[in-house]
Amino acid sequence: MSDWSKVTRPIPVPNEWTKPFWDAAKRGSLELQRCQSCGHFQHPPYATCLQCMGIDLKFEPVLGAGAIYAYTIMYHTGDKRFASAVPYASIVVELDDAPGALMAGNLLGAEYTEAKVGRRVEVTFEKLNDDITLPQFRLAV
Amino acid sequence: MWDNRCKIAVSGVGYSKVSRIADMPLAAHALIAVKEAVADSGLAMSDIDGLATYPELPATGHAEVDGISVVSVNCMMAMLKLPNLTWHIQVGTTNIGGAVQQAVNALLAGVCKYAVVWRAMHNPRGTYQNLPGAYASGATQFTAPYGFGGPGQGMAVAYTRWLEKNHQTRDKMATLAVTQRKHTQHNPHAYFYGTPLSREDYFASRMVAYPFCLFDCDIPVQGAVAIVLTTAERARDLKPTPAYIAGYGQRLHFEVAGRIGSLSSYMEGGSSSAKLTWERSGFSPKDVDVAQIYDGFSASVIYGLESYGFCKEGEALDFIQDGRIELDGELPLNTFGGSLGTGRIHGLWHIIEGALQASGRAGSRQVKDANVSFVGASAPIVTGTTFIFVREPY
Repeated sequence: MSDWSKVTRPIPVPNEWTKPFWDAAKRGSLELQRCQSCGHFQHPPYATCLQCMGIDLKFEPVLGAGAIYAYTIMYHTGDKRFASAVPYASIVVELDDAPGALMAGNLLGAEYTEAKVGRRVEVTFEKLNDDITLPQFRLAV
Repeated sequence: MWDNRCKIAVSGVGYSKVSRIADMPLAAHALIAVKEAVADSGLAMSDIDGLATYPELPATGHAEVDGISVVSVNCMMAMLKLPNLTWHIQVGTTNIGGAVQQAVNALLAGVCKYAVVWRAMHNPRGTYQNLPGAYASGATQFTAPYGFGGPGQGMAVAYTRWLEKNHQTRDKMATLAVTQRKHTQHNPHAYFYGTPLSREDYFASRMVAYPFCLFDCDIPVQGAVAIVLTTAERARDLKPTPAYIAGYGQRLHFEVAGRIGSLSSYMEGGSSSAKLTWERSGFSPKDVDVAQIYDGFSASVIYGLESYGFCKEGEALDFIQDGRIELDGELPLNTFGGSLGTGRIHGLWHIIEGALQASGRAGSRQVKDANVSFVGASAPIVTGTTFIFVREPY
């Protein structure tokens, strides 16, 4: 299993579009940006709705259950901060609640060989520091 | 069809020597390539009155120093001191293909007579992708914390999506790497000229970002290439046989930064660009005699072949088998070796080869009776452009 204990992850820097996402993650909740006009969820957050050109966007909770849309297994140790976890699975997840919104993550608590397109996953949270908690994914139980 | 088809042509081409290390400043590479392209046309430098490039750093996170890591239009102006310069531009919404297209437009508008386009690529010391530091801001806040570093992983996720959705395996990609390396042996300017690659080499190579092994990735190099474009009438008076531009297109789809892995975005990017090219030229994929499709990572060729319409979605890895992409095959592909063979110089070399094949100047790798020559320059998703060159104006 990939050893994440020695990995120093870059710390996300929230901005005016993304702050509610990180505030929710800190509370242990996954919230995605949703257009209040057409109901479309999108991720990463954007200035306007990319579906209907709406400008009224709010963050709403989603269940955090979904499927692996795509993945890669990283073997290259060019970034030394991640070297101890190699090989590791970086995955892209499509949530049931938010089709089309693609979220990146790692597959935690499982062998990297478990990463397969379509495999069911659920959100989990990894605290990086007092300000930032990272939404992550594990295989669905 | 486009009224302006075949009114502009590529004439001369030029190269610097590609190398792994920065043996001389990048500006010197660019200057060598431009001088050679102008000489290949039989022109004097003072004839050049238009300049265009796309001076983006190929690797992320390094300092942009003009003349060292990029070669801007300003840098080229300073070096050439062109007495008759009338027009120049740097593009941003497309890769180098957009600079070529802007040169076509400028020539059509009559604001210059002989335009030079170059692409110079720097190979920085140390790690090619200098990844975000302790903090990840902007779009990287949603990718970098998960170890998504360079573009390789971004491409790799779409590739696993493609493979597993279509019940395919990466083994079939060996044919692309091996065939392109075979083509490379006909291109003395290429980095891997003189270095063949076997199927065994491909399967034995180390994994970088699954499904990409080492030979699915183009090798970072320092080097530059350049072309001269002019009007068809003027091109006919120059030394090389002209390669007429029958049509071009650019991607009309945009994927927001930080949203990675979307296979449909690659497809929409490629098909929107190709559609314009087919409509403007009046040709369709079945008319194409030879194709150059951007291959910074091998999977780009899949997205290109499918989104441009050479085969159906999910079929590209079967399409490239059984000799189809050999020099005497049904669709000779990346006949100069592609970026996998030349080293990472982005799309201008694909454009050069498309022009050389159309003008019958491709030497020992010349495809017999090539008239319709297609180019997909740069990955379809973000920066894609497409071209058709022809030998016979129509």
